[in-house]
Amino acid sequence: MKLETVIGGAVLLLSLAVVCAAQVSSAARKLPSIKQIDNNGLRKALTPSRKPLLVNFWATWCDPCREEFPDLVKLDAEYKGKIDFITISLDELSEIGRDVPKFLADMKAGMPAYLLKAQDDDAAIAFVSKEWSGALPLTILYDASGKQIYYRQGKVKIETVRAQIDKILTPGN
Amino acid sequence: MFRTTFVFFTILTLFAFVLGPAPTLAADFAVGSTVENFSLPDTNGKVQSLNDLKGKNGSVVVFLSAQCPVVKGYNERINQLAAEYAAKGITFIGINSNSTESLDWVKSHAAENYKFPVLIDKGNVLADKLSATVTPEAYYFDAKNVLLYRGAIDNDRSGKAITDNYLKVAFDSALSGKVIAKTSAHAFGCSIKRVGE
Repeated sequence: MKLETVIGGAVLLLSLAVVCAAQVSSAARKLPSIKQIDNNGLRKALTPSRKPLLVNFWATWCDPCREEFPDLVKLDAEYKGKIDFITISLDELSEIGRDVPKFLADMKAGMPAYLLKAQDDDAAIAFVSKEWSGALPLTILYDASGKQIYYRQGKVKIETVRAQIDKILTPGN
Repeated sequence: MFRTTFVFFTILTLFAFVLGPAPTLAADFAVGSTVENFSLPDTNGKVQSLNDLKGKNGSVVVFLSAQCPVVKGYNERINQLAAEYAAKGITFIGINSNSTESLDWVKSHAAENYKFPVLIDKGNVLADKLSATVTPEAYYFDAKNVLLYRGAIDNDRSGKAITDNYLKVAFDSALSGKVIAKTSAHAFGCSIKRVGE
């Protein structure tokens, strides 16, 4: 075998390896990190810090949750810097490194993302709202003081949420 | 007259703002409430009533869905409970109130998964009456149709780490004449897809 052929083959293999590694690394980089929280973490996550807070509870297994997500991403882009927006997944813990970040990456969702693994689902649901049956999705808007301004169990209408956010961002409210 | 009407409507409007939107359904049909007898068609079109289906010690109305993964995860446990407590006079009645699930789909899903009748709640009339919003959710009624327990079947949807069998404990307490310690419990599940949503 000629030396040129060996060198050529080696260079080709090396190039392929570099391209593959770059792709793997790029894919891994794109996946958002999901923070696991328990009941205490939920309490902290639902406490606004000087800005209104929009919270969406969802799961990858929930059809309406997936359907409304593009609208939520739009809202996040529209109100970035003016409000805080977090998502809380109710998927199984085993999905924290799989379907949950994959879905969020597919949606190009940049909101801080949590996965709730509650010690007691009943207590977690009651803490969020006495009205909540546990049905997903659930979206809640709090003003900067933590007062609940908007509550929607089921898919949101983007214009309704937008109107509620605009209302609390209006000076004097 | 105009002034009085204006003031009246202004006060009414202010009240509407103060009161805000109507409360959601979840807490409306509370434990201790009595459900009137109802009749709904099963998946074969036969109309069946609560009073005909209930056992001598009561009934469990359980809201189900053909597509909800959480319901799917509970099917085996629901069937086991239904079989165990049918022998003790408590019968299970499945209800499908989802407007997005076709009759054929619900029928084949019920035939494959449940050993008790599944009734079709077209227009989510029963779901509205019982203020049901999530699947799976169980309503345990005594023989007089008084609600004894409402909510989750147990405290772990995966079934791998159950520490509280809410519904089973409610059955056993009632059957032995004891007070049911926990009469309601929530769990994460799928929204009932109502007409027009």
